[in-house]
Amino acid sequence: MSTSSQAYLNTRVTAMATRLFDPDALRQVAGLSLPELAERFGVQPLLEEQLDARTKARAVEQALIHRLLADLAVLIRPMHAAERNLLLTWVRKYALFNLKTLIRGKLYELDQDEIRANLFDLPPRVRLPHQELYRAENVLELLRALERGPLRIIARQARESYEQRRDPFVLEAAVDQRYFAELARSAELLRGEEAQAVQQLVGAILDRTNLMWLLRFRFSFRLSPSETFYQLVPSKRLLHRDRLLALANIDSFEQVIEALPAPLDRILAGSRNLIDAQHRAEAYLVAECRRALAGSRSAVSRALAYLVLREHDLLLLYALVQGRLLGLPQQVVEIAIDLADPDCPVDARAAA
Amino acid sequence: MPPIPINADRVATRTLELIATLVPLPMQHVRLLVMTDDLPQASLTLAETESFHPDHRLPEASVLAEAPGRDYRERYRQAASRLDKIAKLVPVPAAPPIRQLHVVHPDELIAVSLLLRERWEEASRFEEAFHRLDEEERFLRDQQTALENFANLKIDLGKLRTKTRFLDFYVGVVPRENVSRLQGAVQLAGHLLFKYLERADSAHVIIVGPRGEGEAQLDSVLTSAGFQALPIPRGLADTDPAQKQEELATRRAEIAGQREALQTEIAQWEQSNREMLVDARRTLLLAEPFVTLDPSIRSLGQLAVLAGWVPAAAVAGLEQRLEETLVMPFHLEAREPRPDERHLVPTVAVKNRWLAPFAMLVKQYGIPQYGEVDPTPLFAFTFLLMFGSMFGDVGQGAVIAGLAWTFRAKLGRFWLFGVMAGAASIVFGFLYGSIFGYEEILPALWKSPIHHPILMLQIALGYGVAFIVVACLLATYNRFAVRNIAGAWFGHHGLVNLAFYLALVAGGLNVAQQGSFGTSPTLVVLGSLAALAAYGWRHFDAPTSEKVLVVFIETLETVIGYVSNTLSFLRVAAFSLNHAALSLAVLTLAGMMGTTGHIITVILGNVFVLVLEGGIVAIQVMRLQYYEGFSRYFSGDGHEFAPLRLKRGAEAS
Repeated sequence: MSTSSQAYLNTRVTAMATRLFDPDALRQVAGLSLPELAERFGVQPLLEEQLDARTKARAVEQALIHRLLADLAVLIRPMHAAERNLLLTWVRKYALFNLKTLIRGKLYELDQDEIRANLFDLPPRVRLPHQELYRAENVLELLRALERGPLRIIARQARESYEQRRDPFVLEAAVDQRYFAELARSAELLRGEEAQAVQQLVGAILDRTNLMWLLRFRFSFRLSPSETFYQLVPSKRLLHRDRLLALANIDSFEQVIEALPAPLDRILAGSRNLIDAQHRAEAYLVAECRRALAGSRSAVSRALAYLVLREHDLLLLYALVQGRLLGLPQQVVEIAIDLADPDCPVDARAAA
Repeated sequence: MPPIPINADRVATRTLELIATLVPLPMQHVRLLVMTDDLPQASLTLAETESFHPDHRLPEASVLAEAPGRDYRERYRQAASRLDKIAKLVPVPAAPPIRQLHVVHPDELIAVSLLLRERWEEASRFEEAFHRLDEEERFLRDQQTALENFANLKIDLGKLRTKTRFLDFYVGVVPRENVSRLQGAVQLAGHLLFKYLERADSAHVIIVGPRGEGEAQLDSVLTSAGFQALPIPRGLADTDPAQKQEELATRRAEIAGQREALQTEIAQWEQSNREMLVDARRTLLLAEPFVTLDPSIRSLGQLAVLAGWVPAAAVAGLEQRLEETLVMPFHLEAREPRPDERHLVPTVAVKNRWLAPFAMLVKQYGIPQYGEVDPTPLFAFTFLLMFGSMFGDVGQGAVIAGLAWTFRAKLGRFWLFGVMAGAASIVFGFLYGSIFGYEEILPALWKSPIHHPILMLQIALGYGVAFIVVACLLATYNRFAVRNIAGAWFGHHGLVNLAFYLALVAGGLNVAQQGSFGTSPTLVVLGSLAALAAYGWRHFDAPTSEKVLVVFIETLETVIGYVSNTLSFLRVAAFSLNHAALSLAVLTLAGMMGTTGHIITVILGNVFVLVLEGGIVAIQVMRLQYYEGFSRYFSGDGHEFAPLRLKRGAEAS
């Protein structure tokens, strides 16, 4: 990236970063009512009385994703192809959410309208060729359609395993695995000064994901070490291949936490369950992103860090809106948006 | 006055028609209020008249917020998707003849969709069967590759067929991208993975490990990794490889037989369902206009509104047809396009066989905005004039025209372009007296360029001046047409620019003939430049220093631009000279050879001139057209008239 583009992108990111929530801002937002939230964040569907709570929540989620995509569109403008590809790969997770919705919808023979209501409306360069998939009459046809696209290998595997045992897990796990493998590969394709900083940040994203998958597959789904390792995507930062092999082979939750490399061992020390561990791992990623945003010399790495943080904030906002729509008590809402954590002995933010 | 002969009358009529193509077809904005139940019929009638270009803007009245055709559109899309999937397997005509027009009601659409679902379920079984055969063939290929590999090994791989008391073996194929992860996963199960071959997306692997607990873990991982076990034939070590090849060949032949049987079955299925599928296609074609119009339809209760653009001459006919076909009352309002919506009005494309290929080239630049002069006839005339004068040769022109005629099937509508360019070259070839570069065979009807270079340059310069003047006049007309009065006077290539340019030309002629620029041209040049600078000053919003700089540079650019653009036309003469000089070089070379060498050199030289210089001349002419012509007077940001149409075959009534 040229010096002028770096400067432009850095300025853009710095300007955008002022929108991110700090704890005080989050606490202030947590006190807003639904009309105030609608006005402040421009989510008008919240005020439309004829819509039910589910439709409103869905519309809000869609509106928040559009905000994220709008930020992304601005940030990738000065980037070169490889850098742009990395950020587009990162955001393509929403296209994969759609794919998984389609697969589940076809598998459980849901109504077309119901499937459609749960799909995200995405811009052309992010979305998958939905129309063909959407028009498929059954799972097998859907998987055949997928076999004609870039996911052909996992679609073939999934079809074969689906024919043996009608379970979407293999396919969904393969879709997720491929997404993160593609993200890692996009980061490795970067060259020049940008590369190392971006790879470090992508490494943090992968470490967080690997850690959660490892704990979930081993101790929630009770998968074998082999099956667990097979679903992971080795990172080049903390949880590399050999370390994942060793961690997957450990038989207890506590021993895995103890065997984690620094600083994950410190951050996750004392985690009692998966939800607790998830909060701390998320806090680790947020801290890494804040560090990159504040101090990285790479504009692309700062842009990616901003997007991860922005997504995190928008998810908190969505949780807040949902809490309000469902009429949950303020205390529960605050737990949902990380302002209170009665079950966690360590303040996740402080730990990070 | 003698009577005009009949041929001259035809020519005059044709000429008038051609001139009429310059003027855009007047359009009207039509707003149609119909009852919601009549919408499918209204859409069908609009499609039938082929004169309604939908206006997709939402109606101004915000109460018209409902989208009455949404369900209809969804049903249509579902049915169309099913038929399209079937059409990938068996031929279904895209636009069969429609003998009787009728409105497709939602119930009929649902019935067709359900029928197509049943047919697609049947058809998809055939498709699935083909997929299975493809997979089996792929697996056979993998097996054959594996056998060829095993045959080269010095160990008895037959022993890998069965699990031993202590060891567990898996031999098979796995997607390449999964190998690394699978290697780690089998390692955790106490096994080892060896990759012995890579082929396309697949890797051939052997997994070996102790029997026991790890074995159970592996099965699930192997499924996730898409592992396909390759059966190892019994007695591999002892059996003749030729016999194994024969067995595989037999299986392949069986698959081919199954494929053929499946084809026959599909053909029979297609025959028994052909009529139903064609009927379904007809129904969908009749339903399509309503679906196409859907985004521009809005309603409130039983009242729906849709809007579009209609050629002024067709409005009365459209209203009459609606009266004949609509059961319930309707209201049609037609009005002239407002100035603020001119950019939305579609432009009707030139419909002239001779101009069609030139229209394609104009379209590459853009579509004329409504009200603008369509540049196609002028483009065609000046293109042929410039190409002919730059590449004038009877023989080479005949070759171009002949090739275009010979390959007319492949060139489509473009063949006429080649024939006309060749004909222009022939005409100028006669004027220059040149045939395949020889200038002694044909007498020049006018002059040979190579012998009159100064005259050629003077003519090219004069042509350039005329071209720029016409372009400025067209730019002015176009701005007046779209009511941009200030732009017509002071804008780029407007009237003040034209006055400046003409004064500059007059001054230039004075300098050439009398040695001085002349008082009147000087006054006009200075006056027009001052007017342009004053206009620029008023319309540029910036600090004074920046304004001074910009106005000064823009004024300077006007002077330099017109001078350089005029000189740019010297290339017309330069290429005509270049063409003659290149031919002369070829003939000089040929003259140095014997008879055979002479013939070969002349042929190869002419091919060289045709391909290289012909291409360059075509590009240069296009450049002059686009940059010296279109950029002055043609905005190209209009959009084409695309009326709602009913796709139907030739037998339609």
